[in-house]
This record gives sequence, structure tokens and C-alpha cells, in this order.
Amino acid sequence: MSQGTTPSPTGTGFRLHTYNLIGGAIVVVLGLALLGYAFLVPNTTIPKLLAAAVALSGIVVAVGVLPVQSPRDFYGGLALVMLATLALIASAELPGQRGFAFGPGTAPRLFSFLLAALGATITVGGVFTEGPPIEKYKIRGPGLVIVGILAFAATIRGVSVTLFGIHLGLPQLGLVPATFLAFMIAILGSTEMRWIESLIAASAMTLFCVLLFVHLLGLPFQLWPNF
Amino acid sequence: MTELLSHLGQGMGVVFFHSVYWLFGVIPLPLNVLYCLLGALVGTLVGVLPGIGTVATIAMLLPITFGLAPVGALIMLAGIYYGAQYGGSTTSVLVNIPGEATSVITCLDGHQMARQGRAGPALSIAAIGSFFAGCVSTVLVAALGAPLTSLALLFGPAEYFSLMVLGLIFAVVLAKGSVLKAVAMVLTGLLLSMVGSDLETGAGRMTFDIAELADGIGFANIAMGVFGFAEIIRNLELPAESRDIVQAKITGLMPTRKDLIDSAGAIVRGTALGSLLGILPGGGAVIASFAAYTFEKKISKDPSRFGRGAIEGVAAPESANNAAAQTSFIPLLTLGIPPNAVMALMVGAMTIHGIVPGPQVMTKQPELFWGMISSMWIGNLMLVVINLPLVGVWVSLLRVPYRLLYPSIIVFCCIGIYSINNSPTDVLISALFGLIGFWLVKHDFEPAPMLLGFVLGPLMEENLRRAMLIARGDASVFMTRPISAVLLQIAFALLLVAATPKIRERREVIFVE
Repeated sequence: MSQGTTPSPTGTGFRLHTYNLIGGAIVVVLGLALLGYAFLVPNTTIPKLLAAAVALSGIVVAVGVLPVQSPRDFYGGLALVMLATLALIASAELPGQRGFAFGPGTAPRLFSFLLAALGATITVGGVFTEGPPIEKYKIRGPGLVIVGILAFAATIRGVSVTLFGIHLGLPQLGLVPATFLAFMIAILGSTEMRWIESLIAASAMTLFCVLLFVHLLGLPFQLWPNF
Repeated sequence: MTELLSHLGQGMGVVFFHSVYWLFGVIPLPLNVLYCLLGALVGTLVGVLPGIGTVATIAMLLPITFGLAPVGALIMLAGIYYGAQYGGSTTSVLVNIPGEATSVITCLDGHQMARQGRAGPALSIAAIGSFFAGCVSTVLVAALGAPLTSLALLFGPAEYFSLMVLGLIFAVVLAKGSVLKAVAMVLTGLLLSMVGSDLETGAGRMTFDIAELADGIGFANIAMGVFGFAEIIRNLELPAESRDIVQAKITGLMPTRKDLIDSAGAIVRGTALGSLLGILPGGGAVIASFAAYTFEKKISKDPSRFGRGAIEGVAAPESANNAAAQTSFIPLLTLGIPPNAVMALMVGAMTIHGIVPGPQVMTKQPELFWGMISSMWIGNLMLVVINLPLVGVWVSLLRVPYRLLYPSIIVFCCIGIYSINNSPTDVLISALFGLIGFWLVKHDFEPAPMLLGFVLGPLMEENLRRAMLIARGDASVFMTRPISAVLLQIAFALLLVAATPKIRERREVIFVE
């Protein structure tokens, strides 16, 4: 839903230029994806126009015709416009107002239009007013935390996916291994991580969670994998 | 007055005498007192530890409270909020890092006092001020509860809708950052709340044919993602802060006579200001503490003392933040409108327990309403008694490095979310919202208005639809009904005022300071 995860600015002058090239390219890709999606759904003239406008503004920025003064506002506003467009497409087939009564689609469309208008205002403001550059994204810490969470989600119950005929899967590991694994992956994200200390802390936290959730709160968790 | 006392008495009864018999059914165990104590202690703990906010903690603990009785759950969650106001000051005074956003300003004079060897009096004045503020605001909540509730019962759907618009606008204007972006966040929250089945027709809305979205996006998933996960990811990016703890042994906790006399006025003024700002939507404890400090400095005979260990500079903001934390329950309990992100979480907790927040809570569930209010006073009393002797324990907790803390929080959150529905998909959705929250911060968007919008979304839509239906599709009903018109006019005026350049500059100055 949060489209346009824009890359970091790496400086000023010449390099800011490449940064807008990448940012603009991401916007174009997402805008075109929305446009394509809109063509699959009937009754989406306005979302199509919005998506086209987003893609166009991405092109304009990428080639450097339009200097972006406040990238946080510019890309943030565009993401909101895209979110509103997505919501408009998704609610296009819902029935609208009938007589005096709102249909299920009325309120989502109403708020989407408002959001698109505000997002566009923020974007335009980002072109003309000066603002700070987007902070650099660090990959290691945030990335490993997310991987840790995903690992927990995948192993607590197990997953199995069949992609192109190849069967991929993780077995159900149960609470104890899943917690331990998630802790160890997440702690790798810290630059000051020490192995022995981490292993002890992971065991202690796993024990604490088992005691709290399973014994004290009585939640029906499977603790260990099925052998 | 007698009515007020009888209400509070009823509340005390709920807190003390809802016991579970323990140990072969002989010894009564006042469960609600224990929940109150637990909440207050957890709150203090979070308050002490920098890097973990109140909102994140309440979000984290939401799943755990599902198994409790509603009264106990809400008493505990409320305890976390005001407990954090007590704990935050400890870190501010001893380490010069705010443990909580609400005690940022306490660092200025509190830490200076600690440097001068007066950490004890600073901590005890903060606790005494908080306790005084807690007592006054508990009475205020109880006193305003009944009249505001009866007022709210007169409201029709049109008035309710306008009131919610006003509440959201207030929250946006008083929050930090760009007003335009905050309004956009509110709208995003409203849109997110519409994912899932339609209230009236049951039609699936914006679900993209994903079965997990048919029931809508879980409140706990958003809260935990945007506030829990995103905050940790964000902290990991920041350079490790050095925690320079005041090592000197804290001697003489008791303030001198002079300290008490000096700070008495500041405590009273801080309480008054905090109570007022707490009731306003969007205000809450952070603004209250800043306002109280600025006010004290302004009326002081010798403003140059501030920043060099003036005891008023500790007393006023600490009283104000606790007062505001408690009075912010007033709009929630009487009107059903959460004034800030913490109260939005309380709405989530109430809805999960099947309680619709609003004026009917007081009439339909008086034991919950008055029990919660009375528990605040008991919680404050326990905090002031427990906290001062435990300062040493809290300080030793500060030595736990963040590198061990954050993975613990992550796995705790994961298990918590998973336990709600036994659904790994919920964990995935939270992770996604963690990334979204991270992205929002990078682009200067505040996630709190989004959560408010998300919580108020279903209620707002319902009232909007009902009002339009009653008015036979005539949208002017919001301007022709007098109360609704006044509410909307205030909202509009507020937006205009916030948009004027002069006020905008002032807002920026206040939040930078």
C-alpha cells in the first residue's frame, strides 16, 4: 500500500539528479501499474486519468524538467494520490447512492477523492517550497528486523507454496523454535551484537514468553515441531 | 456533590471487591487492584526506558488483555498511561534523556538539579506533583463525566458526525508537523477503516478478493505495526546514545520545606493547565508539559533560574503531564471520541471487549465507567508510594542495553499478534504496517492522526449515512441543525487559524523548542 519507497538522496548537485531519476522511475512504474489495473476494472475513467497523471509527473521529474525542492513532500504526496487511486479502482464496482441512502461505495469514493486532492496539494507544495531531503534508508537493521518477523510468521504454523510446479515449504516448528529464531535474526540487525550474550538472551526471552503466554495466559500454542 | 461521592464509592467497590478467591477459595484476591498495580508498574518501566513509548507498549499489551475481564483490562491499560508519566521523569532527571516524550522538558531543570546533588528532591517533587495532579484530575473526570454524557445523549447523527470532525481537526491542529499532511493521514486512516464488509449491506469493500481482508484490517495489527515495529526500526537507524547515568548515590529523597513552598504554586498551575489541555483533542500530555514549563518561566520573578535547576521547572511540567494524561479520558469516556493516539488504542481495547465507547457506557456499564475512574486514584497512590523507594531498581534497568531490548520486544509483539486469531497473516500485515510507518516518518507524516481516523472511521461513516438518510439526502443538514453547525464552524475556524502564517510559525517554534 505504501508505494513509492523512494531511495535515499546521496548528496547535492549532480547526484541529486540521479536520485530524482530513480525516484521518478519508481513513480512511473507504479503509476503505470495502477493504470494497467484500472483497465481491468470497468467504470474507472477518473482513476485512469489520475494514474496517468502520476506516471506523467514521474517522467517529468525523472528527466529533470521539474526540479523537486522538497522531495519528502513531493513523493509523500504522490504516494497518497496513488493510494487514493487504488482505493477508487477497488471501490469502483460497489453500488453508489440510491435515492436518499448511501451505498457501500459512496463513502470510500468520497474520502478517496478528498485524499487525492490533498495528496496532489502536498505534491505541488513539494515542487515549489523548499524542504529537507529524504533521509538515507539503512538496510541492515530494519531489514533484519522485518526478516525476523517474517521468519516467525512462516515457522509458527509452517507454510507451503507451490510455484511453477515446485513445492516449497517450511514445517510447523511451534512456538519455542519460532521465537528463538525470530529473536536471533532480529538481534543480527544490531551492530553491537555479541554471540554468547545473544544466545543467552534469546533463550531467556523464549522461556519468558512460554511461561507468560502458555502457562499464565493459557493460550493454546504448539510448543515444539511435529516429528 | 453527594452524587459524585456515591459514584466514586461505587467505583472503589468495583476496584476492591471484585475478588477472585484464591488458595482453596479462602483468601480474597482483589484482582482489579492487582491489574491496576501491574499496569502502573509496566507503565513506569516503559516510562523509564527510553526508546519505548506509551503508545507502543499499550499496542503490545493489547493482545494480552483480551483474556481479562473488560474492567480489569481497561484499568490495566489506563495504568500504563499514567504510570509512564511517573517513570519518564526518572530518566529525565538522572540520565538527561527523556524516558517519555512527555518528560522532555523535565530534562532541562531536573538533570541540572541532579548534577547539583539534588536528584532526590527533584524525583520526589515530580512524584508529589504528579500525585496531586492525579487526584485533582480524577475528581475532574468524575465530575465532568455525568453532565457531558447527558449532553452527548441529546446528539443526533448529524451532531455526532460534526463532533467527530471537530475532534479530528482539533487533533490535527494541536499535533506537530504540517496540518495538511495530518489531515491527509486522517483521511488515509478513514479509508483503511473501510476495507472489509460494509456495515449495512455486508458487501465486501476494497478487499481485492483476499479472504483475510474480508473482516477488515485488524486494529491491533495497524497499531502494533505503525507504533511498535516502526518505532524499533526507526530506533535502529539512530546512532546508539550514550547513557550517562548520574552515578552519585541518591541521598535524601525528601525535599526540604523550601522546595515544597517553592513548588506548591507551580504544581497547582501545572495541574490546572494540564487538565485543560488534556481535555482538548490532540493535546494530551506532551503539549501540556511544554505549556506548563513555558508558563512557569514566563511568570517567574527570575526567569534566568530556569535551566539551572529551578524546582518549579520540574514540578510544573510533571504535574501537567499527569493531569493531562488523565483528563484525556474525559472525551473518550463521555463522548466516545479519542483525543489522542493512546485513547485511540483504548477505543480498540474497548471494541475488542464488545464495548462501544460513548455516552451509553456510563448508563449501561456503570461499574466499568466508575471502576476505571476510581482505579486512577488508587493507581496514583500506589505509584507515589512504590516509586520513590524503587528508584534504584529503575535506574539499574537503564543499564539493559537496547541491543537486547529490541529483539525481545519484536518477538513479544509477534507472539501477541499471532495469539489474537492464531493467524500468521496478521503478523505479516503488522510487518507491512511497520514498513509503512517507517516510510511515513521518513516523509514527515505523523502516524497518530491515521490511527485516530482508523478508529473513528466506522462511527463516522455510520453517523454520516444515518444523518443523510434522515435528512432525505440533503447534505445541508449539517449546517441547518444549530449544534452541528456551530461544531463545524469551530472546526473550520480552527483550520483557518492554523493555516495563517503567524500561527504556523509559532507552532513550529513550540514544537522545536
